[in-house]
Amino acid sequence: MSAPGRSDAVIAGRLPLNHRSGLFGAGLLVAGLVLTWVSLMRLDASAGFIKYILVAVALGAVFQGLKLVSKWIFGPLFDLGLWLSALWISLLVLIAVFADLLPLRESRDVSQALQAPIRQRPNLFSSHPLGTDAQGLDILGGLVYGARVSLIVGFGAVLIGITVGLTVGLAAGYYRGKLESAVSFLTDSMLAFPPLILLLAMVAVLSPTVANVTVALAVISVPTYIRLARANTLAFAQREFVLSARLLGERNPAIISRELLPNVLLPVVSFSFVIIAVFIVTEASLSFLGLSISRPNPTWGNMIAAGETRLNDHPHAVAVPGVALFLTVFSFNRIGDRARKMWDPREAKL
Amino acid sequence: MLRVVGLKLAQLVPVMFVVSLASFFILELIPGDAAAVIAGPQATPENIANIREQLGLNDPIVERYLTWLGNVVTGDFGRSLLPPGRPVADLMRAVLPVTLQIAVMAIGLALLISIPAALVAANRPNQPPDRVLSTGAFAAISLPPFLAALLLIFFFVFETDLARWGILFTGVVAILYYANAARARAQRYPAGRHRHRYVLRTGSVFAVTTLALVALVVFLPDFPRQGFSRITGSAGLGANLRTAFLPALTLALTEAAVWMRLLRSDLMSTLQEDFILAARAKGMPRWRVLLTDALRPSSFSLITVLGVSLGRAVGGTVIVERIFNLPGVGTLMVQSIVGKDIPVVQIAVLLLASFYVLVNAGVDIAYGYLDPRIRRGRV
Repeated sequence: MSAPGRSDAVIAGRLPLNHRSGLFGAGLLVAGLVLTWVSLMRLDASAGFIKYILVAVALGAVFQGLKLVSKWIFGPLFDLGLWLSALWISLLVLIAVFADLLPLRESRDVSQALQAPIRQRPNLFSSHPLGTDAQGLDILGGLVYGARVSLIVGFGAVLIGITVGLTVGLAAGYYRGKLESAVSFLTDSMLAFPPLILLLAMVAVLSPTVANVTVALAVISVPTYIRLARANTLAFAQREFVLSARLLGERNPAIISRELLPNVLLPVVSFSFVIIAVFIVTEASLSFLGLSISRPNPTWGNMIAAGETRLNDHPHAVAVPGVALFLTVFSFNRIGDRARKMWDPREAKL
Repeated sequence: MLRVVGLKLAQLVPVMFVVSLASFFILELIPGDAAAVIAGPQATPENIANIREQLGLNDPIVERYLTWLGNVVTGDFGRSLLPPGRPVADLMRAVLPVTLQIAVMAIGLALLISIPAALVAANRPNQPPDRVLSTGAFAAISLPPFLAALLLIFFFVFETDLARWGILFTGVVAILYYANAARARAQRYPAGRHRHRYVLRTGSVFAVTTLALVALVVFLPDFPRQGFSRITGSAGLGANLRTAFLPALTLALTEAAVWMRLLRSDLMSTLQEDFILAARAKGMPRWRVLLTDALRPSSFSLITVLGVSLGRAVGGTVIVERIFNLPGVGTLMVQSIVGKDIPVVQIAVLLLASFYVLVNAGVDIAYGYLDPRIRRGRV
């Protein structure tokens, strides 16, 4: 994914996109949109494979058209995939924050949804734009509140992981000695555990609340962060600016927080986008297994688990939260890929 | 070499000690009275006392750990708390082969997918096949395993016609693309015997590929939605492979995507080397240079992640076992967690973690065989 982008830019930089390819892109975009609309709205399910292939082709055309148009407008270095990823994440954060203000149908309490049709297919112009599940609960509403859970768990666990991991890793990498040996032994032992198994062991005994799941995930990430922080600290502690700070009489805590922390923070943070993606997947997997946050609180994982039984004739109950989950993980991975390229000089070695 | 192996094994001892500690102290993480939580809300005081007795909760903690460790080391895994009260060792013996088979099949499938994909992608970087494969790999990495499983079920169990048409469509597009490239290449041969031979040879390759594609589409086997047929069962090997294929493919997808990206970037840097240029200059065909000269020196990082992947695949079967309803360690673990059957959870965690640790140690040792620089240095 990365390599094509770069050489693309080189080639495109040599031959700047002219208006013709931009206009072609605009045409492609319009044609793709029309084809998407026709194949989604006008063709019924009896068209079978033709419908699916048409949708795929149409979405491909929309993306290619958008890419050409955006390069025409913003220059040949514009990375459309990255911006779309950022847009999706921002949208998600917005709807998660303002979920309570949105005019959503009931997605939580079955007794409030007795009048609602059950297993209604998605129809953007109805009162349930993304359909309803087996109990008549609104899928769009579930998606919004599920986004809230996913984001809180993902960001929360990473924040805890970074805080603990950085503190311990910086101290171990700077003070060395016995502290470092003890920390290394602990992290090695924790990393020796298969993460999912350790997590299952923890949820076996903790009650599945958002806070507990977040802490359990944070525990999984701490050893990785300690390692990352320690490795970076070791590299920077040898540098002249640390030595000169020490010669000027700075105290150790001050050296760590003022000299080392700003340098170590960047690679650690750039690594975190990928970790957030992993955590969102893990939380969804746990709630899919019924071991994390469970009904009545909707999460993407338990929505998918609920729809799984009728996958054959009502696939939308799985497809809608599934697509949201995939797009989110994809976006975080995409942003993380770019962030590590920009900020982490050690990326190749990790 | 012996010294390296010995050192590595010596390092394992403390790690295994921590693993056993962590597995045991799962029980201690339960807030409040563990026995009361396990017995559930409707338990009578006798029930709770019973469970407390069975778990030995009345003894001091160090003594309990040592007794438990002694029992485990001597092969006594204790009994399940759930009604039939079967020995945990019997439960494990029934579920471990299933999980191992799925994990090993997944690794094999992932190799079968990732190596050809990486070769095709690295052969001509940034051309359409590479774009499609690289984007596909990035997407596959972002696809959570349980979604991948449901996707595979949807297409290969419920909507098999869609799967057939999809395979046919993709295959035809790929064949047309390569046929077009081959046609352009044929033009570069001077008309006559050489061009004739080239056309004949490539043409036969395309004919065989097309036949294989059609055969795959027509004879696509029926995969069951769920369940597992043991190799030793009455239905035989065929049924066993059919029940194990989709779960293994689910696990293989993510691994294959990671490996393909890894191998592709290694191949691309190897292909810049002088000896590749020399081989090409001698007139070796491209595919031959790729297979015989470039692949082996590039496969190094792949081999090192292989072991880690095996360990991860064994852990990852928890999800596919639940979806495909396979009688493996994962299903047992989820059942035991839901039923608060802590002795079973403890042993399952201990076994899986030990397996993971041992495989990783094995990889470290194998790494020494492969890379002389590490063999001479300290591990």
